[in-house]
Amino acid sequence: MTFGLGLNVHESVGDVARKSIVAEALGFDYVWISDSPSQLYGPIVGAVVAAKTSKIKIGLGVMSPFLHSPKQIGATLNTLVDAYGPRFELCIGPGDRMQLEHVGIHLIRGEKLTSKMAAARKEIASLLKKADCLEKIWLGAQGPMMLKIAKTFDGVLINFSKPEMIEWAIREVDVARNTEIGVYVTSYAYSTLNPNIRKLAKVPAAVVALGASDSVLKRFGLYSKLRNARKLAEVAPNLEKILNQVPGEVMDEFSISMRISQLPTYLTQLKRLGVSHVVFGYPQNSSLQTVKELGRTIRKLREI
Amino acid sequence: MGLSCALILRRADLDVGITTNLPMEHVLKIASFTERSSAYGIWIGEDMNRRYDIFTLTSIVMLNAPSKMVGIGVTSPAIRNITTIARAAAALAQTAPGQFRLGIGVGGLQDLARIGTSVEKPVAMLRDASETLRHIWRGSTLNQGETFELKNYAPKYNRTERIPLHFGVRGPKLLGLASRIADGVILSGPLPYIERVISIIKGAVRDRGLVNFRITVWLPTLIAGKRTSKQFAKVVAATVIADTTAEVFNLAGISEHGIEKLQRTARKRGYQAAAKYVTENLLDSFTISGSARHVCDVFDSIRKLGADEVIFGPPYGHPILGAIDKVVKAWARV
Repeated sequence: MTFGLGLNVHESVGDVARKSIVAEALGFDYVWISDSPSQLYGPIVGAVVAAKTSKIKIGLGVMSPFLHSPKQIGATLNTLVDAYGPRFELCIGPGDRMQLEHVGIHLIRGEKLTSKMAAARKEIASLLKKADCLEKIWLGAQGPMMLKIAKTFDGVLINFSKPEMIEWAIREVDVARNTEIGVYVTSYAYSTLNPNIRKLAKVPAAVVALGASDSVLKRFGLYSKLRNARKLAEVAPNLEKILNQVPGEVMDEFSISMRISQLPTYLTQLKRLGVSHVVFGYPQNSSLQTVKELGRTIRKLREI
Repeated sequence: MGLSCALILRRADLDVGITTNLPMEHVLKIASFTERSSAYGIWIGEDMNRRYDIFTLTSIVMLNAPSKMVGIGVTSPAIRNITTIARAAAALAQTAPGQFRLGIGVGGLQDLARIGTSVEKPVAMLRDASETLRHIWRGSTLNQGETFELKNYAPKYNRTERIPLHFGVRGPKLLGLASRIADGVILSGPLPYIERVISIIKGAVRDRGLVNFRITVWLPTLIAGKRTSKQFAKVVAATVIADTTAEVFNLAGISEHGIEKLQRTARKRGYQAAAKYVTENLLDSFTISGSARHVCDVFDSIRKLGADEVIFGPPYGHPILGAIDKVVKAWARV
């Protein structure tokens, strides 16, 4: 099993670079750098991280082919690999529907969406092959339709945290021989609970919940609980107002918050399900202390 | 009197130019060399959809030339979401505080046509792009603009320091806009045209009372002499001529019959084929080639017209670093 730390690109480039140096020193295999319309441009942060570290793998994404053209995404990866060597992997996904709406991009739905994603992967892979820098391309997915096309990717990064949801998602993936299964977890593992950090998990958990497909929400009995928040999100995209409408129990379903001593059990469960890559996302990365605590634990867990 | 003489006589800053189509090996060498040299900075031009991502490449250049001014000259809001340009620029400004400048322009006509895009209202686009970028950098929440569709968009990253905005434009209306709302302008085109527009911009900027407005001139430059280098210079000239509008030719007083044929050939068969229509006269107007001394003499004449910065290269000459070194040294002697 390999471990990654999701970096928070709302922070300054310097802060992100410092955390990546710590992550490398603690033995994380990857740092993942997201790219969404309201954050700093991920690939630039990726370049700074690559310059400040020497061997840690750098995952770029989720990058959306609806926000950047496949040619632009391919050129970006080509730039990084040519400058810093084959340390980069790419994760593409449609992106968060609500965030894309804010910047004038109206995401298509259904089969058109999955076809577009499959075509984007093909074009990017072909560009990277031509430039002789073919790196692993992951699919960021959680809904059943997107999961169905995962087999054409090198890996799928499932945006769920709870083992039962991950298990369902893996069943949906018609896994090809070489498709690696990873999960991107909204995570807070701690030795001493800090309620303020725990609160931070609410935002990414709610964003994942609101972006989940109807079928996922219905399957896990969350559809009616999120009805008000989703209606509000359609007309008044003010995140704070929307968050107030997301019940705490729903947020808990889309995140993990546990003592660091409970982590081995959680990871063993994931391993049994076939997960081979785990990325710990916000708010685990919110302080150097939480990064270090997790890193030290991961060192001990290498035998998993 | 003494002060105005000092302003008139001061030397223009010499920059090195690169593009996103230059192989990484050269980019890294040029950035490191420039860092050690007396050159003022590096400008990076975007060859649309060719080889590298302009923003990522710029960050790599900044990391390898941390004490130099580094600018994008230019990228176009026509091919990217405006919020992507804003957050990329914000990340670059954080990468080396105070060292980054953003150049925006409509985009090369041939390049835009090649990727199936056109810009119907270039003045509105650049005006709205400037306003939108500056609002985003201030951390404002934005709603739908005339050109860019934004709905309750608010950046989550830190407020950004003031990023100088330079316009890479040619026509009179866009130059007028640049002198009203930009922090600088990047000029390219035939030398007689450069001569005319610098005086127009200088006048407009003086009327606004702006003292920090920068005029940068970027022409294809080449330390040459050999026949092969000249052929290369013709290809580069063809690239620029193919993108030059009739308006610019008129301002420059150039009326050659072969231009239309050159532009048509560039469109259909590429710049290599179009190069055969580049006459000696066009070559002299659109490129600066010759010895390092000659290149610097032309740079100096541009400086005397009122340019604040002049950019050397590409195509430089061979070897690239040797050519840059010669020009940097020759410029120090001017």
